[in-house]
Amino acid sequence: METTPAIDIRYLRVDYGNFVAVDDLTLQVPAGEVFGLVGPNGAGKTSTFRVLTTLMEPTYGEVILSGVDVLEDIEMARRIVGYMPDLAPVPSDLKVGEFLEFHAAAHGLGTRAQRRDRVAECLEEVALADQRDHWCKALSRGQTQRVVLAKTLLHRPSILILDEPASGLDPLARRDLRQALRKLAATGATVFVSSHILSELAEMCSSLCVMNRGRLLASGTAEEVRDQLGRNEKTLTVSLLTRHQDAAVWLKSQEAVHDLQVVGEQLVFGFTGNDDGQADLMEGLIRLGARMRAFEEKRSSFEEILVDVAETNRRA
Amino acid sequence: MKSETMKTVDSSSRHSSWRIWENPIFRRYCQSRLRFHGLGLALLISVLMAGFLFFMSRSLGTSRAHLSIVDGERSALIPLFIYQALILFVLGTAQVSGGMTAEADEGVIDYQRLIPMSPLSKVLGYLFGLPIREYLMFLITMPFTGWALWRGEVAAHVWIPLYAVFITTALTYHLTGLVTGTVVRNRRWAFLVSIGLVFCLYTVVPQMAKFGLVFFKYLTVTPVFQESLPGILPRSAGAIVATSQKLAPEVKFFDLALPEAVFTVFCQGGLILTFIVMLCRKWRRSESLLLNKVWATGFFGWVQILLLGNALPLIEPGNLFPSREISRLILDWSGWSPKASEGVAMSGIYGLATLLLLFTMTKIITPSAEIQIRGWRRARKQGESSLAILADAATAFGWVIVMALAGGGGWYLFTQALVESRWFPGHSVPLHVLGFFSVALLSGGLGFHAVLEANGGRTVGLVVILVGVLPLMIGSILSASSDRLIPAATWIFGISPASAPIYAATSLLSISELPVNLARSVPRAFYFWQGIHLIVAIYLIGRLRSARKLIASRAGR
Repeated sequence: METTPAIDIRYLRVDYGNFVAVDDLTLQVPAGEVFGLVGPNGAGKTSTFRVLTTLMEPTYGEVILSGVDVLEDIEMARRIVGYMPDLAPVPSDLKVGEFLEFHAAAHGLGTRAQRRDRVAECLEEVALADQRDHWCKALSRGQTQRVVLAKTLLHRPSILILDEPASGLDPLARRDLRQALRKLAATGATVFVSSHILSELAEMCSSLCVMNRGRLLASGTAEEVRDQLGRNEKTLTVSLLTRHQDAAVWLKSQEAVHDLQVVGEQLVFGFTGNDDGQADLMEGLIRLGARMRAFEEKRSSFEEILVDVAETNRRA
Repeated sequence: MKSETMKTVDSSSRHSSWRIWENPIFRRYCQSRLRFHGLGLALLISVLMAGFLFFMSRSLGTSRAHLSIVDGERSALIPLFIYQALILFVLGTAQVSGGMTAEADEGVIDYQRLIPMSPLSKVLGYLFGLPIREYLMFLITMPFTGWALWRGEVAAHVWIPLYAVFITTALTYHLTGLVTGTVVRNRRWAFLVSIGLVFCLYTVVPQMAKFGLVFFKYLTVTPVFQESLPGILPRSAGAIVATSQKLAPEVKFFDLALPEAVFTVFCQGGLILTFIVMLCRKWRRSESLLLNKVWATGFFGWVQILLLGNALPLIEPGNLFPSREISRLILDWSGWSPKASEGVAMSGIYGLATLLLLFTMTKIITPSAEIQIRGWRRARKQGESSLAILADAATAFGWVIVMALAGGGGWYLFTQALVESRWFPGHSVPLHVLGFFSVALLSGGLGFHAVLEANGGRTVGLVVILVGVLPLMIGSILSASSDRLIPAATWIFGISPASAPIYAATSLLSISELPVNLARSVPRAFYFWQGIHLIVAIYLIGRLRSARKLIASRAGR
């Protein structure tokens, strides 16, 4: 039986005058996933999120959150979504506890005592229990991000939309954030998180999609995204003790091999084949009588892929 | 966990809009604006100032002016009232508009958009929460006022209406600040605009009231304050004021005679309601137009009715004419009668005010290209072949026509009542004048609307400067340079649609007595430019039609 996706975006388009920020985006996020949206600055991530959270009306398209059309039932959509915007602002005139208690009250979370408990619980979750009486304006960037994450969690939304939550965080805080998101996903919430750092999302998300200049370029697991972006090639380095020249000639004749270079005893070349093809290649070299001393496989990092995609798109 | 999540969400109670003390936004501002240090200083300053004004006025009254105890106590009331007005009207309004913009500046306004409170609850939370410190500063001055009222033996029927209107006026201004803070994105501009509006209400608007637009003065506390003066001034001064007030116009609305306070609350009530509707629409959807088309057109009609209802009963006794006010001041009004030029000017100013109101309402209900595209796409999604007539995205064309015709009608009725009154015997306003008045408003209003809807706000801004303002500036310079250039200046003035109401009144009314050098040029310039304005408006409407078709086809792609 097919389950309803937690987030269902159909043909979404957002225009600012003549500029198309999001162009024909169609995407489904299954419930209970940590789903990443990655793209360089100006890719359309924030515009997409603002539409999802009812903060902006799209030029065109439909957005359904857990069966609720955000254009038709704003109030209900707002109840099921928790949103953490980019740069996560906090009011300068409130203390952390006051800020969170205000939001707990605004969401109608039980009695005053229950709200205080819930605030404490959320602060505990983001490891800021000791900051309750501190001024919001006095917090560091990372602490601010975490306070806003706590605010986002207060009403136990079934869908969390986090816009660049890791920006400005140190490695330790990023690790804590990753853990917090995984914990949330484990409780059944759907987390839709954006970043311009692909590797960061690849680590924390079960699936992800790549956007650039308003368009969806790829979506799926990290491997599937590599495939879809056509960046699944590897650079192979083979160190041979004998028959370098023969091996080079033979490799050049293989379809999946390109850009071969001979550097001393090493043969360095690009390979576009799959794992079977790679095994066949090794077998062929051994049959040729070359004595293989070492073998190394290197893949492009996610960052390199994203930069490459962005550059290609910009040139296009 | 999923079921637990939904249960929690569903159990979140709705906040009752009217239980303001439970409103989370109100409470949030109570928390942040009533902290000991800030509040303590504000209250200290407030109580010191109020105490100073109270004791100083009292001492001057009793010791220097040798007033009785009762009169001495009364002498503190007006300074305290002005100080209270400063706190609530100026500081409160600035705080509301500035606070609202600060929320947008900091970016936290998005959080407030997402919280599941009704738009009305949010509006009320901000309305009473943002100026909470100013309310307390006001309240702490009240013991002095209370003492002065009690010992000054001021009757309850005097001070209760005064302070009731004081509060509704404060609410009106705070809502102005809230609307400004919501619409104007820049914090400094929002502050300046809202304070500027309050300032204008007490400086510019009373001048408009002198020229027949009496309604506008009821947006201030002034009429009720003046009515209350005999009761709050020291008794000897109060008696003089009471005598002069017997000669002053009473508040009449068509055939009704209403107390000043009731009429003021009625006028301000309509405005308060309209502001709240504007804010609720913006809270529901930030992209929404400030008002829907029916409300905007209704508001336009309501203002016309208030203007007419206020002005018409004052024509026969002569109290509407500015020169009557002057003659009353110099106590020489036995042989008074209005000048014909007054009547012409009043008609022209009525038309100009109507045209400006028409522009304002048109600006509010005219959809931008983005709103139109969104509307078309939503209509297509729902299988509709056209936009709903009341949708934000639908053209405001028909509504502008309705408002222009209603405005033309109101202007005609006002002018007819003025010119055909006992003050100008033998004069009448023929029916064709109604046609000219309507055309003047239609060409200006529709031209403005067509450019706005087809080309957007920036183009309108440019057109307003180049066509609306620049000719007036050039004409003014020319007419100031030499008398010989006045006819040429007249033609240049005529380019601006803003001159049309004045030119219409001077050209069409039989009471008009233009000087020789203008007697030919003004009517000619009026008819010529009206013709041009009409042709341009028709051309712009044609372009608007094409632009809308283009948008509709773009939306279909």
